[in-house]
Amino acid sequence: MKRPLVTALSILVLALSLPLGALASEFKLVVPLPLTGKVAKFGEIMKKSFEMAAEEINASGGIKGSTLVLGFEDSAGKPETARAIVEKLIEGGQPVIVGEYTSACAKAVAAVAEERKTPYLVVASADDAITQQTYRYVFRQNQVNAHYADAFVSFMGEVVKPKTIAILYETTAFGTSGADAMEKDALKLGIKVVLKEKYEAGAPDFKPILSKVKSLQPDVVYMVSYVMDASLLMKQIMELRLEAKLFAGGAAGFAIPEFVGNAKEAAEYVISATLWTPKLSYPGAQAYAEKYKTKYGDYPSYHGASAYASLFVLKEAMTGAKDWSTEGIRDGMKAVDMQTAFGPVKFEDKEGYQNQNFVGTLAIQVQKGEFETIWPKDQASAPFVFPVPTWRERR
Amino acid sequence: MTYRKPLLILALLAVLPLIRAVPGVNANYWLHNFILVVMWTIIGMSWNLLSGYCGQVSFGHAAFFGIGAYTSGLLYVKFGLSAWWGMLASIPVVGAAALLIGFVCLRLRGPFFALATIAVGVILRIVAENLTGFTGGDMGIMIRERTWVEKTWYYYIILALAAGTFWFVDRIIASKLGYYFVAIREDQDAAESLGIDTTRYKTIALVLSAVLCGFAGAFYTNYMGYIDPKVVFALHDISVMAIMVVMVGGVATRWGPVLGAVIMILMAEIIRTIPKVGTAHHTLFGVLLIVVIIFLPNGVVGDAAKLRRLLRPGRSA
Amino acid sequence: MSAAKIEVLLQTLISGLLLGGLYALIGLGMTIIMGVMKIINLAHGELMMVGMYVAYLLFAWAHIDPYLSILVAVPLLFFLGVALQKYLVNPVLKVDAILPENQVILTVGIGMVLANLATIIFKSDYRTTPVDYATKAWYLTDLWKDSPIELSLSFPWTVSFLFAVGITAALWFFLSRTDMGKSIRATAQDKDAAMLMGVNVERMRVFTFGLGSALVGAAGCLFLPIYYLYPDVGGQFTLTGFVITILGGLGSTVGAIIGGLILGVFESLTATYVGMGWAPVGRFVVFMLVLVFVPGGVASLLRRRRFGK
Repeated sequence: MKRPLVTALSILVLALSLPLGALASEFKLVVPLPLTGKVAKFGEIMKKSFEMAAEEINASGGIKGSTLVLGFEDSAGKPETARAIVEKLIEGGQPVIVGEYTSACAKAVAAVAEERKTPYLVVASADDAITQQTYRYVFRQNQVNAHYADAFVSFMGEVVKPKTIAILYETTAFGTSGADAMEKDALKLGIKVVLKEKYEAGAPDFKPILSKVKSLQPDVVYMVSYVMDASLLMKQIMELRLEAKLFAGGAAGFAIPEFVGNAKEAAEYVISATLWTPKLSYPGAQAYAEKYKTKYGDYPSYHGASAYASLFVLKEAMTGAKDWSTEGIRDGMKAVDMQTAFGPVKFEDKEGYQNQNFVGTLAIQVQKGEFETIWPKDQASAPFVFPVPTWRERR
Repeated sequence: MTYRKPLLILALLAVLPLIRAVPGVNANYWLHNFILVVMWTIIGMSWNLLSGYCGQVSFGHAAFFGIGAYTSGLLYVKFGLSAWWGMLASIPVVGAAALLIGFVCLRLRGPFFALATIAVGVILRIVAENLTGFTGGDMGIMIRERTWVEKTWYYYIILALAAGTFWFVDRIIASKLGYYFVAIREDQDAAESLGIDTTRYKTIALVLSAVLCGFAGAFYTNYMGYIDPKVVFALHDISVMAIMVVMVGGVATRWGPVLGAVIMILMAEIIRTIPKVGTAHHTLFGVLLIVVIIFLPNGVVGDAAKLRRLLRPGRSA
Repeated sequence: MSAAKIEVLLQTLISGLLLGGLYALIGLGMTIIMGVMKIINLAHGELMMVGMYVAYLLFAWAHIDPYLSILVAVPLLFFLGVALQKYLVNPVLKVDAILPENQVILTVGIGMVLANLATIIFKSDYRTTPVDYATKAWYLTDLWKDSPIELSLSFPWTVSFLFAVGITAALWFFLSRTDMGKSIRATAQDKDAAMLMGVNVERMRVFTFGLGSALVGAAGCLFLPIYYLYPDVGGQFTLTGFVITILGGLGSTVGAIIGGLILGVFESLTATYVGMGWAPVGRFVVFMLVLVFVPGGVASLLRRRRFGK
């Protein structure tokens, strides 16, 4: 009976003695990301973008002369693991945390960061609650979920002018808050919500719920889906010949290249809210998108752009900071007001959010198999197509 | 049964927070992992009581973990109480839920019971996702401010709970109840023919096990400060993990869940952070599991004799 | 009922039946493995994922239709299953453990390794096979111009449905009409008796695991044109497999397809008339009800009818 104890203790001792340390004139930044599990795809996009940004920063002299050395740890999308990583990083002396992807993990990380008074830059987690906690050290670069669809809503109000809308969303924090926000926006515009229903993410068959939508004949069908559900929904809508004035998506699944790749002709004319597109006129946006494409074969999604831009934001904050302590970087972060490939970045306290970057959102439309920015007009890369032809006319 | 060794180990564990004083050690990081290990020890012991000793293999301990976690979280959100009251409140809530679940599931035997408990866990998850008005649905429950920044108190609380659970399970197993449980596991029909009211004792085992697991859930809410249905009612990360903790450690043994938790949580974390392995850490860990179960089908403690023989081939008979 | 309501109901029923066919495909492999070995195979979905990647690779490299790649995936998965059973599952089953469920760790471990290997080899990208017929469908109004309602029948879904029926029939024939099949069924019913009757139980088990894996591999190929693929796709289908297995009755092929159809229709009706968020609850409530009240599943009901008089 003694042996297991001895083994356990020796494992402990071994684990505790793992070496940790950093070299001078190098700034080591370890980023927690989901690199395995269900959302690993987004973790990968972000990882590649972080790496590209670090390369560029180092090529132009690093941060105040220090080379930025990146590392990554896999949180597998588990809050406990994400917390473990961040506890380790903070204690190891890393004065700032950047990364994580799912809202559940970001919340776990945010709580630790606040407790430990270490600035945390949220890059792609959308849940509104993260920056509504009066946290002093938590910053968010991407728009909050409640505003994801702003550009689309304005497009809807000015161009589509629908009377009714049906909202379908997946059972995740992202889907729920996206759908709630759209319901509020629709009420403001005087649009009647004829159906608001959720579905289990990853379901293979949406035809029952879609037949119900069909019988209600809404003007707009708005869907909030994370990944491939988006393309399945559109394929099955086409198959059922469900007609509506407009099919629209709330970012995420509708704004990634895989959407067009899988839904093909069913994706045509679908409009989606998004935070970023490869054709934007922000400084460096197109260069980043093209470089990413030549390197990895596909355009990045807005998650990648946000990750890419975040390191430049960090550089700006650290350059402006009086020292590289947690407090110094926090103040540096608060003072950031800059243009990035992801758009203008400035962390504000308003509408009940703290340290939140309110970046303008966009509406995109699939035209001939390509995403074109259609709204707001000054950012448009192509004129919008509306009204859209019916399924029968398209054949 | 003597308590010299458990007390010794408890004393050893109680001084663990002193690693804070060791220079160059990430005390908070390691304490976080120790807290998780100890929490899993409780879940493991809870599972061991019902499934290891009484033989009713549950695939749905996430149900009890989740109910415990949500009891805590809802007290905080709905009644403005400290989430710590959830520890106490979870006893009647989880107990009642277990009675209900037992009433349905305990009619079933063997793999059928196991499958029914899978369903219970999944049903509860989806219900929690759908009752948005009550549970907050997928948005989860977030506790604005955790009680302590320091981990030491969390560690002692969960350690005390674990020690209590250890003692409690030990007493139960040494009592008449324990004999009934094992009798039911070995041969339910024989037990029944001896006049043991098997349904009654299986229900007792289930309720006790559930309440213990509920504690762990309530603690989780307090410790992590955030719960959502997909996290606390997880089939793979909670229910199956509970099984693996005990099976790797040793089914129906005193120290199995403890050792199992160390292996499954600490080892997993260590393997995850081996440099250069990257995302392949799952493969390494999966292979480790396969190797353990092939060579030690009764777990590390259960096959301790065999393990000793394997490690010292020279002395083997 | 208005025409619109009838249309919703009929369309729901159609999609329910087609979905049921798919469910049956996933459940067939599991019901055989569970029926013969009484083990809970938590790597079932991961085996399906392997089948899907086989089909994907063949499509990406040689543009082979996913339906044709069944011919490759089935033997490949068969040998994978045989190897898993022979070198991993059997050694564990043979040893006397306190709880026979210790194989759970094994199958979880296998599942972890398979999914992780897929992540390493294929990255976690979402993959699809963009076949021409993906959104092809037949419409009622195309056949009957003045129809007051519009119904559609998807081409790829119908193909998988037909395959499900065909595979079930072939399997039923194999299990009830061939010596090998009879030996497998004997092993499932009572392995000691089967051994006494001269059945090589060990071999039957190895063969069954191979067969079960091959079936779920085929399911993966049929599933690919209508779904998508990523390394962690399998998990959710393992659960579906359990439900079908219990609904149909352990080891019953005919039960699996009837169970699948019942479940598909039930879920679709829940989705339409209660709410799609609740559909999975419906699935597991049915599952529990069957477990408690009809422990033998559909198969036991069928048997009762046949011999009841």
